[in-house]
Amino acid sequence: MEFNEKQTQTAELETQEKAAPVAELINGSHAVIQALLKEGVDTIFGYPGGAIMPVYDAIYDYQDQINHILVRHEQGASHAAEGYARVTGKVGVCLATSGPGATNLVTGIADAIIDSTPMVCIVGQVATKLLGTDAFQETDIIGITIPITKWNYQITRADEIPEIMAKAFYIAKSGKPGPVLIDITKNAQIELLSKTFSYKKCETLVSYHPRLTPKETQLQAAAKLINEAKRPFLFFGHGVKIAGAEQALLNFIEKTDVPAASTLLGLSSLSVDHPNYVGWLGMHGNYGTNVLTNKCDLIIAVGMRFDDRVTGDLSRYARQAKVVHIEIDPAEVNKIMNTEAPVVGDAKIALEHLLPLVNENNHHGWRDEFKVFEEQEFEKITKPELSATTEKIKMAEVIRGLSDKTKGEAVIVADVGQHQMMTARYYEFKKPNSFVTSGGLGTMGYALPAAFGAKVGVPEREVVSIIGDGCFQMTLQELGTIAQSGLPVKIIILNNNFLGMVRQWQDMFFAKRYSFVELQNPDFVTIAKGFGIDGHTCAHRTDLNDSLDKLIASDKPYLLEVLVEKEENVFPMVPTGASVSEIRLE
Amino acid sequence: MTTYTICVFTENTFGILNKITTILTRRRINIESLTVSETERKGISRFTIVIHHDSRDVVEKLVRQIRKVIEVLAVFGYLNDEIIFNEIAMFKISTPIDAKPIDIETINKVHKAWVVYWHLTYVIIQKTGTEEEIFEFFDYIKPHGILEFVRSGRVAVSKSPQTLVDYLPEADWEYYQ
Repeated sequence: MEFNEKQTQTAELETQEKAAPVAELINGSHAVIQALLKEGVDTIFGYPGGAIMPVYDAIYDYQDQINHILVRHEQGASHAAEGYARVTGKVGVCLATSGPGATNLVTGIADAIIDSTPMVCIVGQVATKLLGTDAFQETDIIGITIPITKWNYQITRADEIPEIMAKAFYIAKSGKPGPVLIDITKNAQIELLSKTFSYKKCETLVSYHPRLTPKETQLQAAAKLINEAKRPFLFFGHGVKIAGAEQALLNFIEKTDVPAASTLLGLSSLSVDHPNYVGWLGMHGNYGTNVLTNKCDLIIAVGMRFDDRVTGDLSRYARQAKVVHIEIDPAEVNKIMNTEAPVVGDAKIALEHLLPLVNENNHHGWRDEFKVFEEQEFEKITKPELSATTEKIKMAEVIRGLSDKTKGEAVIVADVGQHQMMTARYYEFKKPNSFVTSGGLGTMGYALPAAFGAKVGVPEREVVSIIGDGCFQMTLQELGTIAQSGLPVKIIILNNNFLGMVRQWQDMFFAKRYSFVELQNPDFVTIAKGFGIDGHTCAHRTDLNDSLDKLIASDKPYLLEVLVEKEENVFPMVPTGASVSEIRLE
Repeated sequence: MTTYTICVFTENTFGILNKITTILTRRRINIESLTVSETERKGISRFTIVIHHDSRDVVEKLVRQIRKVIEVLAVFGYLNDEIIFNEIAMFKISTPIDAKPIDIETINKVHKAWVVYWHLTYVIIQKTGTEEEIFEFFDYIKPHGILEFVRSGRVAVSKSPQTLVDYLPEADWEYYQ
């Protein structure tokens, strides 16, 4: 009887709802998805859980419009979103639950802020009335992520969702891009919006005005220094890629004839074939680029931030040189280097505006100075590494082999350590937007999920991840994600059974006291096969060529493990505390 | 060590204090005093942060980092001679019947402090002034027995003829009448 009564009531309610105009109201979860669609999001990396279940229930209805990719660990979601964002320039989106789901994103968020990667992380939170009660899976993720997000916000009412989502996307991708975290309480996901969903993209904020076009006076001052310089040296960084300024950079370099060097994250923005490209900078960068940093009379820094791995000992870094710094973030100007001519603005717009102001020039003599160092480096390091006759394969051979086979046009995603530095040294990038790696944070375990995210973003391009045996074991569960997607992500593990970079430092600076760097590794190929991913191990130089062919030929995900020399050191090297001109070749 | 007063104008939303303080704590800069209140414009908060530092360069970098917080509208750093500043202090002073009575005239005329509450066994005195003036009074009143002492953060107004809110971005601000 009671049952029947209830049924009647429900039936009445339904009739009322249908009759009233409020029937078109959607709940918070649907509003989240609608907002994502309005922002042009078609891919999300995520992992469900209690506090985000209403959003997951909503996604179920939008599977034809949004490709949700189920990762195996939320850290994988954040790195995949980064990889996706880095190659597409779009905002990477990840979705996770409260508590451990949210905290597992933290490493990826920290990575994204330091490498200026646009990302929106949407996480669930316990219901508003439970906040602060130590409820199940409650974590103060807003408090935790304040120092590592460009912006974060907790939504407690469904009505806030459209405006906050619009703001989140605008902040993540504008100016100097970065991660934004939106924490949505469960009640806000369930509640109906009080009015019909309407979405207006955010285009400006009262308190946030990234400057894109530099001030004319700054451009004039920069041009004057550039035109007067006898030995100008251009450094380009990640900002060039973020701004899509590759062509503008090329035009600028060709008109001024300045030698140009890349930072780690700037790699691939200028083809290695270009006559003005002189190599890359920093701790394991090239010989000439480092030494001649202390011989130039002007540094033209474009979209880079003078990281300590680039500068070495700052008190002996380019003291003789004046500095033009093209940079979108005013807080970066004069942060590390005193700058005679700051140019605050977007790298592309700044270079385009500078172009008519700078003189056509010829710096052949100055550029030739780099060649002397190049030859020395080639004889001392590059040649022996590429034509080794040792029993074990050298990392350099693998990378250069891959470079040749992919014509320098693949998207390369390197993890962190010796293999990363070797990738930067030996892969000959010929196509823009081709190198993805964790630069600022140095996050081991980044490459596998980031390579997957990159492949999702640019499925038409060959994506190869170069991973060390240590790094691989930090996020190897994402093999499951890759296998489930079927996307042909290519994985190369350079296995030396060591945490190679730490071992190198212990070798060089800690009297060879190898403290906890040797790894007893699993059989990586068997692991891959367990996930349904084909692969094989290459142990001999004679097999390397065929192994790489097999990897590239595969139209499925493929894992190639290469057993490399155990105790190989990466050179050149600027030891910590040394000046760039004290770079060591051995 | 030089004293710097940093005035920060922000939108008044949750967690801004936290967003600003992490910028200081990350750089191991201690907050000597902090005052936050809403300005004459609705929804705009004004932070007055006092720090001591050896390096003007570091303070300038700090100001630029604070400016990066999305909700922050404007940040200004001042030296003491560029601002008029004050603090307020309250003293709960023991006044037992057998003790020497407090000298209201000196308290008022010399120290410009006022008794704001009388109790049978104590009084509460309010003193407005700079840190130095407050501590001068502290030393004067100490023999009577200080039961409680509390000092506010600094509030400061720049000597510049321009109104600080003039520097805020254009928007339809609402004013308090």
